Amino acid sequence: MLEELTAVFPILSCILFLPVVGAIVLWFVDDEDTVRSSTLTIALVELALSVFVLLRFVPESAAMQFAERVQWIPALGISYHLAVDGISVLFVGLTAFLTVLVVVYSWDTIRHQVKLYMMCLLALETTTMGVFLSLDLILFFVFWELMLIPSYFMIKLWGGGAERHYAALKFVIYTLLGSVFMLVGIALLDINYHQWASLHHSDHAYSFDLLELLTVPIPIGQQILIFWLMFLGFAFKAPVFPFHTWLPDALLEGPIGMAVVLAGLKLGTFGFIRFSIPLLPDASKSDTVVMVVVVLGLCAILYGAWMALVQSDFRRLLAYSSVSHLGFVVVGLFALNYQGLQGSLLTMINLGFSTAGLFFIAGFLYSRQQTTQLAAFGGMARQVPLLATFFLIIGLASIGLPGTNGFVGEFLILLGAFEAKWWVGSIAVLGVIFGAAYFLWYYERSMLGPLGSAVKSTMSDLQLREMVIAVSLSIMILWIGLYPSPFLRIMNGSVQALVDRLHHEKTAALHDGMTERR
Amino acid sequence: MNFVLNLSFSDLLLLLPEIFLTCWLCVVITVDFVSPRLPKERLAYLSVGGLLATLGCLAWFDVNQVSGTLFGNMFVLDRMAIFFKIFILGSTVLVILASIEYVDRFTLFRGEYYALVVMSALGMMFMASANDLLSVFVSLEFSTLGFYILVSYLRDDLASNEAGLKFFILGVFAAGLFAYGISLVYGETGKLVFSDMASAPATPGLIIGFLLIFAALGFKIGAVPFHSWIPDTYHGAPTPVTAFLSIAPKGAALAILLRIFIVALGTFKPTWIYLLVAVSIVSMTYGNIVAIAQRNIKRLLAYSGIAQIGNVLIGLAAGTKMGNDAILFYLLAYLFANIGAFAVVIAVSQAIGRDEIEDYRGLGRRSPFLAFSMLLFLLSLAGVPPLAGFIGKLYIFIAAIKEGLYTLITVGLINIVISMYYYLIVVKQMYINEPIDPSPISIRGPMKAVIYVGLAGTLVIGIYPQPFTDWVVAATLMFANFVTPAATITPPTVLIGS
Repeated sequence: MLEELTAVFPILSCILFLPVVGAIVLWFVDDEDTVRSSTLTIALVELALSVFVLLRFVPESAAMQFAERVQWIPALGISYHLAVDGISVLFVGLTAFLTVLVVVYSWDTIRHQVKLYMMCLLALETTTMGVFLSLDLILFFVFWELMLIPSYFMIKLWGGGAERHYAALKFVIYTLLGSVFMLVGIALLDINYHQWASLHHSDHAYSFDLLELLTVPIPIGQQILIFWLMFLGFAFKAPVFPFHTWLPDALLEGPIGMAVVLAGLKLGTFGFIRFSIPLLPDASKSDTVVMVVVVLGLCAILYGAWMALVQSDFRRLLAYSSVSHLGFVVVGLFALNYQGLQGSLLTMINLGFSTAGLFFIAGFLYSRQQTTQLAAFGGMARQVPLLATFFLIIGLASIGLPGTNGFVGEFLILLGAFEAKWWVGSIAVLGVIFGAAYFLWYYERSMLGPLGSAVKSTMSDLQLREMVIAVSLSIMILWIGLYPSPFLRIMNGSVQALVDRLHHEKTAALHDGMTERR
Repeated sequence: MNFVLNLSFSDLLLLLPEIFLTCWLCVVITVDFVSPRLPKERLAYLSVGGLLATLGCLAWFDVNQVSGTLFGNMFVLDRMAIFFKIFILGSTVLVILASIEYVDRFTLFRGEYYALVVMSALGMMFMASANDLLSVFVSLEFSTLGFYILVSYLRDDLASNEAGLKFFILGVFAAGLFAYGISLVYGETGKLVFSDMASAPATPGLIIGFLLIFAALGFKIGAVPFHSWIPDTYHGAPTPVTAFLSIAPKGAALAILLRIFIVALGTFKPTWIYLLVAVSIVSMTYGNIVAIAQRNIKRLLAYSGIAQIGNVLIGLAAGTKMGNDAILFYLLAYLFANIGAFAVVIAVSQAIGRDEIEDYRGLGRRSPFLAFSMLLFLLSLAGVPPLAGFIGKLYIFIAAIKEGLYTLITVGLINIVISMYYYLIVVKQMYINEPIDPSPISIRGPMKAVIYVGLAGTLVIGIYPQPFTDWVVAATLMFANFVTPAATITPPTVLIGS
């Protein structure tokens, strides 16, 4: 069935290019309402395509599915290679899902240059999809870099804060700085492949293809060098502590829609699990690397939570809580065992619902009070009970209450961390406690207690569009929280293959598994 | 040295493009003289017609792989020469089309302007084919002569006159260095043709001679520390001439540099690599850092051009076939992005009359097309995928990394980040700031055509670069013998699963 699908219909290319083609079509539309409705249509079609891929995806398999491959620049060994496996397929769905919600959210909150905004949003969707779908490292890099351009415009043109120009530039320069180092790492991988291929008289002189690069051994010294180069790229983007300083600015100053995408889609950590760990298994498990990265992760957990505790602005609080959550993800990844990797992957997806959801909540609050400063709130639960309820549900998911999705992911990460090193696990647990503290404290001060003096008595509760967003996020949160096995089943095969590759036990099986389905 | 000139008719075929263009140049001048009432625009199209015919002839040469040498090896026509000639003529066509409106600003000699542009192009075509030091010198001076006049074409404009004078003095100084270098090299080796010098021993005189020649060519490409004329000349010269100056002579001089470094000095690569690495690092860093402080778009592009040349020199420092391919490819990407950017500058200055970066306020509102084109051109210059500039930079970096030039690469990559900063300053002016005068800017047909060609080149080379990589790989095939083999292959030691 799959073979036919691969051959007959390049569905991944459609997913990849539908939004950008839509953006170009939007250019010719003048009426603002038509722009909004056509963007929503495009986003919904995209979501439908992604759901279709998720439904047809064969779970419990390490195979690359729906693969498409065309030579792009043969002289440099660059190909156009798309495929999904258990690691990436969920992100494809998540991206499409969040984009629909952002379109719905932006319906009446974006009031000027609507067309340009929707075009940027759709372009951003294409580039994000490209990052998740690409198996060729240069293709991946292309989308990785391209993402900066719509993001830059979105922060600058539709950001609410006074410092948005600074934030946009800082975001671009920081990410670019990281990614140029990553480009060196990618080129070194290519050169290594070239040397190996010329020794073995292989046909392809150069290759940036993940699957081909996986077949070539890399000397350990080289691996460590490449690891750190790529680490910089991913760490700046993720962002891993101490490369996170752009994040609070970008999230605070940029529009809510941008913050949802930036904070909800964990591209940096995805890069680790997609490229760094499988390509550089020996470096990834060498003692120094694990030690440094895990310590950075732990620092991020504690530092992020500590900073979140003292913020009075909700968006800044979310930014720091995001840093803290990413610390969890990194610790889980570099536990380098099955539970850790699986937990990290699931947590990345979860954060797409919970952190992004909290940003939507921040947007709801912002549109009522024109600020997210704590001073503007207080006792809002009486005024806006529905908003307060959904705030609580999504917030509890973010702190990992059992029954919500956050619990499953964090629990698996902690399990993995304890299994790897007990002290890592025990420090990470502190982050959970802090997390509960900062969220509940903020919630209590803003929603409960006596009505704040700045709260208008005319404040309205959630509107229809806001309800759609809140309800659909809550459904996903409870679904993964109560019945996570469909999601885990999708990722199991690939995670298992990754663990096997890391621990050399079934190297042969891995190679079989990693070859594409024909 | 005895020259026995044996010329048959078929030999002259190799010179056909040059001969044809010379005749066409005479036609343009004659038409201008004979019918002074003729709108000068017609002369532009007449020149373009001749250039296009020459381009067609060169394309025919390239497809049929016509090659050979003339005049005792002084003049060589190989695929690389053809590549550079197409490059030069292509940029000339675009420059002439972009000049049509601008020429109205000249008070006198509007017709001669086109003749001078074609004449410079003719000189540069000879540069692309020059195969010994004398023909290099002659053709270099021939092409520069046209530029001396063109740079100071705005007679009543002080800046233009200053630019012309600076360019002239430094140009003549460079020519002096060059002549001195030639005399030293000839004195030491008794040879003038590049390929004959390949086996010469490295005597002090030879080294100094080549350093002088390198300095003189460094002036032409505008590499630091030979860049001092660039900002003022670019700023003062008529903008189309600036555009021309920023592309075609750089290409022609690089053709000569490639021949000198790879063919004549290939065996000394371990020595000259340090020279090139140093010049490259300094050019990139200086160009990019100084560009940040610029208020004038032409000066900004001047400094960005210095930095771009630093990038090109990375490829030369790699000194391999792949490095040369990368240079040629990079030049193609640079051609379209730079000519496009200058075309936008000309169009804007036609409407506003100034070239300050703050004049670009709100260009996105005033002319979405110009602003969007400028955005793409600047992003391509910065090396953002999937535009042509990205593939060019990638190509160059891979070639250099293969040779283990890690320091150079690191500096180059950090420079990409720096350059992004000042390109974004322009982008910010165009899209974020509100225009002072919101009236739309109109663009005329020929200018639009230039911008469209720039856009098409930038996008097509970026998205579907295969035909272009094939072309550059074929164009440098003759270097495959000269270039020292790639870095020795070290067998991998660690195997997966062991």
